[in-house]
Amino acid sequence: MATTLGWIILALPLLGCLALALFPRHGEPPKGPVIAIGVGSILIAFVLSAVVFASMLAEDPSERLHVDSLYEWIDIGGVSVDLAIRIDTLSMMMMLIITGVGFLIHLYSVEYMDHDRDYRRFFAEMNFFVFSMLLLVMAENFVFLIVGWGFVGIASYLLIGYYYQQADAVRSAKKAFVMNVIGDVGMVLAAFLLVRELGTLDYSEVFARAGELGPESGTALAVCLLLFVGAAAKSGQMPLHSWLPDAMTGPTPVSALIHAATMVTAGVYLIVRCYTLFDLSSLAGDTVAVVGMVTLFLAATVALMQVDIKRVLAWSTVSQIGYMVMAAGLGLYASAMFHLMTHAFFKATLFLAAGAVIHALGGEQSLDRMGGLRRHLRVAYFAMGAGCLAIAGFPGFSGFFSKDEILAYSLAAGTLGTIGYVVGTVAALLTAIYMFRLLFRAFFGPDPDGGYAHAPHPSRWWMAVPLSILAVLAVVGGWIQVPFGWHLIDDWLAPALVGAPEISPSHTQEVVSLIIGSIVAVAGIAIAWYLFGADRERRLRLAGVAAGPRRVLEDGYELDEIYDEALIGTTRDLGDALTRDFEPKGAGGIISAPVAIVRGSARVLRAAESGLVRTYAFALIAGVGAAGIVIVLAVVR
Amino acid sequence: MPWITLTILVPLAGALLCGLLAQSERRTATLVALATAGVTLVLSLVALGLFDRNLADLQLVDHLDWVESIGLAWDVGVDGISIWLLLLTTVLFMVGIGYACFRLPERGPAFLAMLLLAEAGLIGLFAAGDLVLFYVFWEAMLVPFAFLIWVWGGERRRRAGLTFVIYTMVGSLLMLVAILATAFIAQDITGQFTFNIAELRGVAFSETESTWLFLGFALAFAIKLPLWPLHGWLPMAYGEAPILVTALLAAVMSKAAVYGMIRIGVPVFPEGANNLAILIGVLAVVGIVYGSLVAWRARTMRMLVAYSSLAHLGFVMLGIVAFDVMAAQGAVLQMVNHGIIVAAAFIIVGVINRGTGEEDIDRIGGLAARAPWLSGIFLIVAMASLAVPGSNAFVGEFFILAGVFRHHAWLAVLACIGIVYAAVYMLRLYQSSMNHEERGIPAGRRQELGLPDLVALVPLVLIMLFIALWPASIVGGTRASVEAAVAPAQVAAGRPADQILVPVPRNPPAENLPLPGDETAADPATTTPGGQP
Repeated sequence: MATTLGWIILALPLLGCLALALFPRHGEPPKGPVIAIGVGSILIAFVLSAVVFASMLAEDPSERLHVDSLYEWIDIGGVSVDLAIRIDTLSMMMMLIITGVGFLIHLYSVEYMDHDRDYRRFFAEMNFFVFSMLLLVMAENFVFLIVGWGFVGIASYLLIGYYYQQADAVRSAKKAFVMNVIGDVGMVLAAFLLVRELGTLDYSEVFARAGELGPESGTALAVCLLLFVGAAAKSGQMPLHSWLPDAMTGPTPVSALIHAATMVTAGVYLIVRCYTLFDLSSLAGDTVAVVGMVTLFLAATVALMQVDIKRVLAWSTVSQIGYMVMAAGLGLYASAMFHLMTHAFFKATLFLAAGAVIHALGGEQSLDRMGGLRRHLRVAYFAMGAGCLAIAGFPGFSGFFSKDEILAYSLAAGTLGTIGYVVGTVAALLTAIYMFRLLFRAFFGPDPDGGYAHAPHPSRWWMAVPLSILAVLAVVGGWIQVPFGWHLIDDWLAPALVGAPEISPSHTQEVVSLIIGSIVAVAGIAIAWYLFGADRERRLRLAGVAAGPRRVLEDGYELDEIYDEALIGTTRDLGDALTRDFEPKGAGGIISAPVAIVRGSARVLRAAESGLVRTYAFALIAGVGAAGIVIVLAVVR
Repeated sequence: MPWITLTILVPLAGALLCGLLAQSERRTATLVALATAGVTLVLSLVALGLFDRNLADLQLVDHLDWVESIGLAWDVGVDGISIWLLLLTTVLFMVGIGYACFRLPERGPAFLAMLLLAEAGLIGLFAAGDLVLFYVFWEAMLVPFAFLIWVWGGERRRRAGLTFVIYTMVGSLLMLVAILATAFIAQDITGQFTFNIAELRGVAFSETESTWLFLGFALAFAIKLPLWPLHGWLPMAYGEAPILVTALLAAVMSKAAVYGMIRIGVPVFPEGANNLAILIGVLAVVGIVYGSLVAWRARTMRMLVAYSSLAHLGFVMLGIVAFDVMAAQGAVLQMVNHGIIVAAAFIIVGVINRGTGEEDIDRIGGLAARAPWLSGIFLIVAMASLAVPGSNAFVGEFFILAGVFRHHAWLAVLACIGIVYAAVYMLRLYQSSMNHEERGIPAGRRQELGLPDLVALVPLVLIMLFIALWPASIVGGTRASVEAAVAPAQVAAGRPADQILVPVPRNPPAENLPLPGDETAADPATTTPGGQP
C-alpha cells in the first residue's frame, strides 16, 4: 500500500502542474481554482505522506523499506532501468519535509503573490518543483535520481527567473542553471563509473555490491567525488556556491522553499543516500568534510556584511548546509539529516518572515531602509525572532539541538572532527552575530530616515498562519532528539543507515559541547546587541574600519569576478575567435578550395551559374547518369 | 505486400504527380502532397507493426533481381536500426509537408514535388540492402535538396546550393569508388560478385584493404554528417535554405551519414573502422566542443541551432565508433531524438523570425509576455535540446557516453564539456528572445503560435515526451541489429569475449581462411553468416 500511495503522492503535484499549465487560456483564470489546484495538490500529498508515515510507524523497523517498479523504462547494453520508487525511512523523512513545508509555503504564496499577474504560472512552476523534488528523493535508481536532480534544476531556473523581464533575474537564472549542469555532469560521470564497474544503477544492487569497487580504491574515491560535485553544485558548497546568493532574485516563497528548505539540501540527502559508497573511501569523506568546513566558515563571514535582507539569509543557508555537509563527510549521517530538518523549519521561517517584511514594504529588501519594524509587523517580528534564536543555537530552540549534535559528534570523529568542531563553533558565533544583526537592524531602533513611503501593512491570515506554524516548528522541532534523552531521528533512520559507522561522543564531550554552544549563542547575541542594537550610531561610526576587507566580504570573496575572468571570459573569447576567424577562413577554406577549383577550371559550371534551373538539373542528372555508366562499364568489364 | 517498396514508391509517385501539375494548381498539389505523405506515414507504421524486434537481419525484404550477372538487384527492407529512421523520415515529412501546405511559397507544386522526392530518396536510402541502391538513393536525395536550396533559398542561395552540391559530390564520388572496389576485392576473396550488404559482412578483407575501403565510405559520411572539420558547407546551406528545408536537412538528411556508418562502415570493414575509430572519435569530440562554442557566439538564431546540430551529431558519431552495444543503441535512439528536436527548434526559430522580422539574437527580446504558448513550447524544446535529465535527448546522450566511457573514458569526459556549453548556448537563445524587456517586436504582427505552427509542433513535442517516458519502446527494437552490427568491430578491437554478444559472420567461412588474432576461428558456431545466437 505504501508504494501505491507513493505513486499518488508523486503524481499529485505533477497533475497540479499540468492542470494549471494547460488551463484553457482566455485571459488569466479566476484565482479560486488556481489556489484550489495549486495548494490543494500539495496538501493532499502531505496528508497521504503522513498516512504512509503512520503505516510505516506501525511496521517493524526492519521492514520499513518499500520498493515498487512501474515499468521497465529502458534495457540497453545489459543495463536495465525501471521507473521505480523507494520508500524507506530516509525518503519518508524527506517526503514529509518537502510536502509539509512545501504546503505551508504554497499557502503563504496565495497572499504573497496576490498582486502578481502571472499567478497561475507561479503555482504551476511551484507544483512542478514539488514533483521534481519528490522524484529526486523517491527514486530507486541513479537514473531517476539524476532526472529529479535535473528537474529541480529546471524548476529552480524558472522560479529564479520568474520576473523574466528583469535583467538580473534572467542572468541569475542562467547562472544557477549552468552551475547546476556542471554538477549534473559530475553525477552523470559517477553513474558512468558505476555502469562500467557494476553494470547496474539500481540503489539496492549498487549498495549491496558496492564492496566490489574495493575499499579505499581509486574507483570508489572517484565515484564519491564525482557525486559530490553534483552535491556541491546543488547545495551551494564552495566553489560552486555563487549561484545561490544570486538566486534571491526569485520571489521570496521560492527562496524559502527551494533555496533554503528543500532543494539546496538535496546534496546532503545524496551523500546520506550513498553512505555505503562514501564509507568505502575515507579520503572522499574527508574531502567532503573539509569542503563543508571551508564553506560553513567563509559563508558565515560573508553573511556578516550583506545589506540585502535576503542575501544575508542566502549566505546563511550556504553556511548552514556547510554544517550538514561537514557532518555527512565525517560520517554523522543522522546528525546531518536532523540538522537538515530543523534547518528546513527555521530557515523557511526566516525567509517567510523576511518575505512578510518585503511584502509589507512594497518590495524593499535593503536593511539600510528598514528599522523599528517590530512596532508595525508583530507576527513577522515574533517569527523572525524565533527563527533567529533557533539558527543561533539558543538553548532550547531547534537549532540548538541539531547544531550541537553535529558539533558534539564531531569531537568524537577523529582529528578532522576536532578541527570541524572548532571551525563550527567559531562559525556558530558568527551565525548568532549576523542573524541578530539582521533582527536588530530591521526590527529595532527607530524607523529609517525619512520613514516608510507607506505604512507597513501587517499580513493577512494566508501569510500569518503558515508563518506562525513554521515559527512554532522552528522553536520546538529540535525536541525530537535530545542529548541524554531520546533519539527519535537516529532510531527512525537506523534501518536506512545499516552498517554506517557508529560514532557517538563521550558524556564529557557532550556536556562540554552543550555548555560551549550555549555560551557561544548568548555571546553572539550580546555582541550583535552591542554593535547593532544598543546604539545605532555605533555601527555608522565603525563603517570606516577595514573598508577594503569588508568590500571583499560583501562581494563574497570576489569569486564571481574570478569566474567571469578565468572561465567565462576566456572561453567566450575563444568562441568569438573561432566564429570570427577560423570558421570563415579555416573551415570555410576547406570548402571553398574545391569550389574554387571547380569554378576556375570548368567554364561550363560558370555558365550554369546564370541561374537557369534547367542547367543545374541537367548537370545533376548528367552526373548521376555518368556515375551509373561508370558502374555498368566497370562491372561488365 | 511489398510494404517497403511501396513506402518508397508512393512518395515518388506523389512527387511526379505534383511535378506535372501546373504552377497555378496549388490547391490540388497540396491535397496530393498531403495524401501522399499521409499514406507513406501509414505504410511505415504498417512496417513497424510487422517488424519483428528480435531479428537482427534485414526483414520485410523485397527482392527483385535486375542484372543478376553483375549482382544488381532491387533489395530493400528494414532492420532494427533503419525502421526507426524510416519512421523518423515519414513522420517529419508529414509534419514538414503539412506545414509547407499552410504557407506555400512561390511555385508551390514544384516545392512540394521536391519535398516528396527528397522523402522517397531518404526512405530508399534507409531501406537499401544493397550498396548500389544505397548509392543511387544517396545521390537521388541530393538532387531535390539542392533544388530546394537553389530555387527557394535566401539571397545567397546560388552559392549555397553550389557549395552543397560540389562538397557532397566529392564525398559521394569517393564512396562510389569505394563501392566498386569493395565489390571487386570481395570477389577476389570469396569468389562471389555482390553488392548485397548482408553478404559483404564478414568478408575477410586484409587490414590494409579494410582501412582504405572504410576510409572511402567514412569520408563521404563525414562530409554529409558533417564531421568537424568538414562542415564548411553547413553554415551556408543551413543559412540559405528555406527554414523548413533546413529543418529537414538537419533532422533527416544528416542521419544518412551516421546510418551509413553503422549499417555499412563499421560492420563491413571492422578492421578499418577499428584503425580509424579513435581518430573519428576525437574529431567527433572536437566537433562537439567546437560546435558548442561557435553556437554560443552565433549571431543569428538559425546559425545557433545549426551549430548546435553539429555538436549533437558529434555525440551520435562518437556512440557508433565506440563499438559498444550500449553506446550504439544510444546513438540510434539519439538519431531519432535529434531529428525530432532539431526540426522543432528550426520551426520555432522560423516562427520567431516571421513574427519579428528579425534574425539576430540580440535584437529581440521579451516575447514570452506576448506569446506564452510559444515560450512554453520553446522551453520544452530548448530543454530537450540541451539534454536536461529527464528529456528524450538525455536518454540518448547518457547511454552513448556511458558506453563510450567503458572503453575510452577520456573521450566521454571531454564530450561532457559539450553538455555544459549546450546549456549555455540554448539558454542564450531562449532567454534573449523570450525574456528581458520587450524589444525589436514590430506592432501589427502576430508572435504567438498560429494553428499551423501548433499542428506541426505539438506532435513533435508529444513524441519527445513519449520517448522520454518510455525509451525502451525504441531502444528495445534496436538491440538485435545493433549487437550484430558492432560485433565484428568489437572482435577487431580485441574486446573481451563477454562483451561480444553475437557470433561474427565469416565469409569465406573461418576454417578456410583463419584470420590473424581470431580466437574464435575454431568455433563452428561462428561460421554461420548473419547467424543468431
